[in-house]
Amino acid sequence: MNDDADSGNRTGMDIHEAAAIMQDTTERARRALIVRRPVVFAVWGVAWLVADGAIWLSVRGQHPYIGPTPASLVALTIVAAAAAAITAVLVGRAGSGVGGWTVLQRRIFLLSYLGGYIALFTLEAAIDHAGASRAVLGVYGAAAPILLVALVIAASSALNLDWSVFGLGIWLLAVAAGSGFAGPVGVWAVSALAGGAALLLMAASGLRRRSRE
Amino acid sequence: MSEDELDPVIHAPARLRIMVTLATLPEGDNLSFSRLQDLIGLTPGNLITHLRKLEDAEYVTTVKSGRGVTARTAVSLTSAGRAALDRYSAVVRELLGSVSPESRA
Repeated sequence: MNDDADSGNRTGMDIHEAAAIMQDTTERARRALIVRRPVVFAVWGVAWLVADGAIWLSVRGQHPYIGPTPASLVALTIVAAAAAAITAVLVGRAGSGVGGWTVLQRRIFLLSYLGGYIALFTLEAAIDHAGASRAVLGVYGAAAPILLVALVIAASSALNLDWSVFGLGIWLLAVAAGSGFAGPVGVWAVSALAGGAALLLMAASGLRRRSRE
Repeated sequence: MSEDELDPVIHAPARLRIMVTLATLPEGDNLSFSRLQDLIGLTPGNLITHLRKLEDAEYVTTVKSGRGVTARTAVSLTSAGRAALDRYSAVVRELLGSVSPESRA
């Protein structure tokens, strides 16, 4: 083998070798450069189920409704921070060395979430200031974040024309709108089950699709 | 259809790997020289040589930015490069389809 061959400059490559290189390189590049969305959905599905489930456990049986215990809010914060850290690692690994539009899209996506949450908490303070009851604040605190997540997910599906992600966004919109009718206690259970389970289903469907490819 | 129709610029293992790797990214994205090198497994000198050939054919562009420790060379596939790779893939598929088990035996 000469230097030219070592450098991958051979021109005597046959078509079977070319096809094998294309397939192998495509698989390797996808594994390395594309964020594993089913894993991200699974991480957030579990986090949602655990965090909102913990809050529901802390508020069930409250008469009158007082609100989540500090311990359950700490649990929610820890679980959300862990999910965010895992997502950051997955996105960071795949995005290492990648520049251009995708990076800008991710920043806009992140800023939309951050801006949305700041707006949600500000509005919650305003509703509280206007004299809303604990029950109203409870329903708002559980349902409003789902509404934000649903809208960002539904809108983000337009980037790749991904209909399954759009469907998830619409489902979460329905969960956000409907869960409030379960009251300030039931809303957390509906959110944990209908929201967390939807993300886990998306993860399972994505993994099944990948294994078929 | 014959193997002569395969684009000679792409039809070399290293350049084919470079083109396919860059094509995995969506249009508008680029990859740093060092990450591309990691993924392809070539020495910097070899990678530069192959990138020059692809640049001469206007299949890829390289853009340098920053200085010192922040220096970055971004490599991206051009529209012409993406179209050339699509044509190359189509020719390979066509040729593979025409190679029947009998003719290979």
